Amino acid sequence: MKPVPFFESAKAWWFGLLLALLAPFAAFNDYLLHMMVLWGIYSILALSLNIIVGFLGELTFGHAAFFGIGAYASALVVMGLGLPIWLGPLAAGLIAGAFGFAIGYVALRIVGPQFAILTLGFGAIIQTITNYWVDVTRGPMGISQIPPFKIEALGLDFSQASHMYFLVLACLTLAVYICRALQSSRTGRAYVAIRENPELAQSIGINTFKNKWLAFTVATTMAGVGGSLYGHYLRVITPDLMSLSYMSALIIMVIVGGKGTTLGPVIGAMVYIALLESLRAFGNLRLVIFAAMLILCVIFLPGGLISVWLRWQNRVREN
Amino acid sequence: MKTHRRTWLNLAAGLIAASVSLGAWAQAKPPIKIAAINPLSGAGAFDGQLALEGMQAMAAIINANGGVLGGRMLELVTYDDKGNPEEGVSAAKRAMEQDKVDLIVGGWFSAVALGQKEVTRDKIIHIVTSAQHPKVTDEGHKYLFRLNATSTMMSDRYSKFVCDSIKPKSVAFITINDDYGRLEVENYTRLLGACKIEVKGNEFYNRTDADFTTALTKLRSLNADAIYVSAINTSQGATIYRQLRQSGHRGTIIASAGNMNPKLVELSGPALEGVYSISLFAPDSQRPMARKWIDQYAKMFKNEPSFIGSLGAQAVEVLAQAVEKAGDPRAYDKIAAALKVPKLNTLLGEATFDDKGQAQQSIYLIQVKNKKIVASGG
Amino acid sequence: MVFLQQLLNGLANGMGYVLIAVGLTLVFGVLRVVNFAHGEFFMLGAYVTYYGMTLIGMDYISALLVATLVVAGLGILANRFFFQPLKKEHEFTILLSSLGLALLLTHLAETIFGADPKYVDTPYSDATFSLGDITVTQQRIGVILVASAMIAATYWFIKHTRMGKMMQATAQNPEGAALSGINTKYVHAYTFALACALAALSGALVGPTAMLYPTVGDWAVLKGFIVVVMGGLGSVTGALLGGLILGVAESLGGGYISLGFKEAIGYAIIIVVLLLRPNGLFNPPASTK
Repeated sequence: MKPVPFFESAKAWWFGLLLALLAPFAAFNDYLLHMMVLWGIYSILALSLNIIVGFLGELTFGHAAFFGIGAYASALVVMGLGLPIWLGPLAAGLIAGAFGFAIGYVALRIVGPQFAILTLGFGAIIQTITNYWVDVTRGPMGISQIPPFKIEALGLDFSQASHMYFLVLACLTLAVYICRALQSSRTGRAYVAIRENPELAQSIGINTFKNKWLAFTVATTMAGVGGSLYGHYLRVITPDLMSLSYMSALIIMVIVGGKGTTLGPVIGAMVYIALLESLRAFGNLRLVIFAAMLILCVIFLPGGLISVWLRWQNRVREN
Repeated sequence: MKTHRRTWLNLAAGLIAASVSLGAWAQAKPPIKIAAINPLSGAGAFDGQLALEGMQAMAAIINANGGVLGGRMLELVTYDDKGNPEEGVSAAKRAMEQDKVDLIVGGWFSAVALGQKEVTRDKIIHIVTSAQHPKVTDEGHKYLFRLNATSTMMSDRYSKFVCDSIKPKSVAFITINDDYGRLEVENYTRLLGACKIEVKGNEFYNRTDADFTTALTKLRSLNADAIYVSAINTSQGATIYRQLRQSGHRGTIIASAGNMNPKLVELSGPALEGVYSISLFAPDSQRPMARKWIDQYAKMFKNEPSFIGSLGAQAVEVLAQAVEKAGDPRAYDKIAAALKVPKLNTLLGEATFDDKGQAQQSIYLIQVKNKKIVASGG
Repeated sequence: MVFLQQLLNGLANGMGYVLIAVGLTLVFGVLRVVNFAHGEFFMLGAYVTYYGMTLIGMDYISALLVATLVVAGLGILANRFFFQPLKKEHEFTILLSSLGLALLLTHLAETIFGADPKYVDTPYSDATFSLGDITVTQQRIGVILVASAMIAATYWFIKHTRMGKMMQATAQNPEGAALSGINTKYVHAYTFALACALAALSGALVGPTAMLYPTVGDWAVLKGFIVVVMGGLGSVTGALLGGLILGVAESLGGGYISLGFKEAIGYAIIIVVLLLRPNGLFNPPASTK
C-alpha cells in the first residue's frame, strides 16, 4: 500500500476545514466574502465534474446543463409551486439527478470523444429548451428575484455573503466527504480499474456500466444542488448558466487543479476565481492571459497544480 | 567619494520631488469616483464600449470645466460585467467594497441590471442606463434610477407615427424571443390594429442566432406591406436588415424604437436607407450640451456618437448636477432628492425621474438618410 | 415556392457546414485529435479577408486566397506548439489544449480586432439572383460552388495523391504507417494545415453572409462537430452528406415547425446518431462488444 500523501489524509482535511472556517474573519469586506462564496459553490461544481472526468476518466461537455437544471428546478419549485424554500435544493438534486440517471443510462455505453460530443449534444438541447420554453423558464430573460435562504428565528439571511459562506462551506464539506468516500471505497478502486483498462476490469467481474452509471448520477445530483445554492444566492439565473463558457470554466478548474484527486478541483476553483478577479485590472486582456496560463499548465503540468505538491512531497520524503 | 556624492544628490532630488508631489497632492481635492459597469466582452461588448466612451467624453467636459464641488474631478472606474448577472454582481460588489466608489452607473442587459440592483439596494446611488425591462424600476429601490424609456413608453409614440405617417396596409414582425420582444409584439399588435393596420404575423428569433434566412423566408411569405424589425443587438440587427433586403423584400422596413446607432447604419449598408425609428437622441440636435458632447466625443474616439453613448453621458451629467446640489457624493438621500427634481436639464433634453426612478424624456423621430441618422419631422 | 426557397437556403447553409466539417474530420481521422479550436481558424480566415480588403485594399478574391494561406500557416504553428508536444498524453489533455487554444484565439481576436461587429463587404454579398419567386445572393451561390469544388478536390487529393494515401494510411493504422516508413509528423502537419486552410476558406466565404465578430468560431465548431458525427470520423463523403442533411433539416424544420426546432435539430441529430450509429450514418454499424 502506498503511503497516503499528507494532503489526502484525514488530518489535512480537518486542518483545511479549520482554515476555511477562520478565513472569513480575515476577509475585510463583503466583496472578498462574496468571492469566497463563489469559490465554495464552484468547488462543489468542480468536484462533481471531477467524478466524471477524474474518477471515470471521461470528458463531458454537458455538465453545466445539470448545474442549470438544478438552479432552475430550485427556483421554479419554490417560486412557482410555492414550496418551502429548503425543499429547493432537494428538488434540485432530485431533478438533476433524475436527468443524470436517464441520460447516463443512454449515454454511458459510449466512450471517448464520442461521449464528449454526445454530452455536448444533450447539454445543448437542454439549454435550447430552457431558452425557448418561455412560459415556464422565462427564456433568455431568466428568472429574477429568487428568494434567498433564510432562517428567520436565528436572524440568518443567506443572501448575505457572510452568512452564505458557512452554508456553502457545510455543503462543500459534505461534497468532499462524498468524493473521498467514493474514492477510497471498493467502488472507487473499481473506477481506477475502469479508467485505466476497461476490458480488464470487465473480465475480472466489475460491472463497468453500472459503476459508471452510479458515478454519473451522483455527479449530476451534486451539480444540481450546487445550482440551487447558486440560484438562491445570486438571485438571478439565465440559460447562460448552461453555456459553453461555464462548462469551460469548470473543466479548467478540474484540470488545472488536478483531476482525479479531491483537493485538485477545490484548488482549481480557488485559482480560477482568484486569478480572474486579480487580473480584472487587465480588462480584456484578462481572458487572454487566463487562456495562456491554462495552456501552459496543460502542456507542462498535465497532472495539475496538485502534481507540484506531490513532487515536492516526494522530494521531501527522499531526503 | 563620487558614489557618496551621487547618493546625496539622489536623495536630495528624491526629497524635493516627494515634497513637491506631496504639496500638489495635498492641494488637489479627492476625486469623485463613479463606477462604470458595462459589458466589455462577450455579446454586447461593442454596445458597452459605446456607453463607456459616452461617459468618458462627458466626464472630460465636466472636468475641463473645473469638476464638481469646487474642484473635485470625476473619475470613472471601469468594470466589465461580461453581459452576465454573476459578473455584474461581482463587479458591483468590488466597486462598492474594494474600490470604494461613490456612485454606480451600470446595467446594459436587463438580466444584469436586475441582479445588480439587489447589491446596490438602498446602499448606493445606482443609475441604469439602457436596460428596458420594466421590473428594473418596478422592483427598484430608493437609490435606483433608470434613464432609458421602457418599450411600452416608446411604442405609444411610435405607433401613432406609423398609423398617421407611414400608413402601411399590413405589417409583420420579427422580434427577439424574450420579454422585450414579446412585449413589443403585444403592444404593436394592439396599437396598430387599432388604426386598422392588418397584423399578418410574427417570427421570433433567439439572442444567439447569427443567420435569419429561414425566419425571413417565412415572414416574406406572409406578404406584408411593411416589416417591423425589433433588434437590440447591433450585430443581429444589421444582419437582419441586410438579409431582409437580400431576400427580395421591397416594402417598408420599420426599425424598432431606440436601437438605431451609427454602427448599425455602417454595417447594414444600403439596407437601412430611408428606414425610420425613434430615439431619445437626435444626432443633429442643436442643444448646446449635446453639441459640446458630440464635439468632445469626436476628439476622443473614432466611433460616431450614438444613442447608447448619450445615455452614458446623461448618467454622468445628472450625477454631477445632483452631487453639486447635494454637496457631498455620499449624501445619497440628498442626491436622490436632487435627481427627482422635475425637468433636469440634460444633453438629451429635459428629463424627469418619477417616484420609481424611471426617467420621462422626450422621444424623437429619426430616419436614416444618406447613411446618417437625422431627426425627422413628424 | 416557399418550400423551394427554404430548400435552397438549407443547401447554401449546408455547403458552408460541409466546408467547416471536412477539415475537422480529417484532423480527427489522421491525428486522432478532437480540435475544439477548429472554429477559430474559420474566424481568422474571415478576419484576415476583412483586413486584407480594408487595410491593404486587396480585392475580395485575393484577400480570400491570402487568408487561406496565412491561416494554413498558423495551423502548422498551432499543431507544432499545442498538439505535437502532447502526443503521448491522455486523450483529453489534448482536447483541453485545443480548448485553451480556442479561448486564447477568441480573446486575442477580441483584444486585437475589437469586439465590435465587422462586415465583410464583398461585391457578391448583396447582389441577388432571382428565379421567379426564389432569391439567393451571389455570395451564397459562391459558397455552394466553391465548397463543392473544394470537396471534390479534397476527395481526389486523398484518394489519388501520394500525400493523400499517406494520410489514409496514418488514419487507418498510425503505428503501422510509421513502421512502413511514413513520416507521420510530417503527415500530421500537412493534414492540419489543409484542415485550417479549408476552415479559413469557409470563413472567407460564409463570413460575408452575416456579421463578423470574434466569437463566431464557437458557432462554427459546433456545426462542424454535428456534421462530423453524422458523417463519421474521418470520412469526407460523410461530411458532405451530413452537412447537406443538416442544412436542409434546419431550414425546413425551422420553416415548417419552429425556429426553436431549427436550433435543436442539430443536437438531436448528434444524440440519435451517436446512440444508434456511433460510427456515423454512412458507415457500417459499429460492432457490438
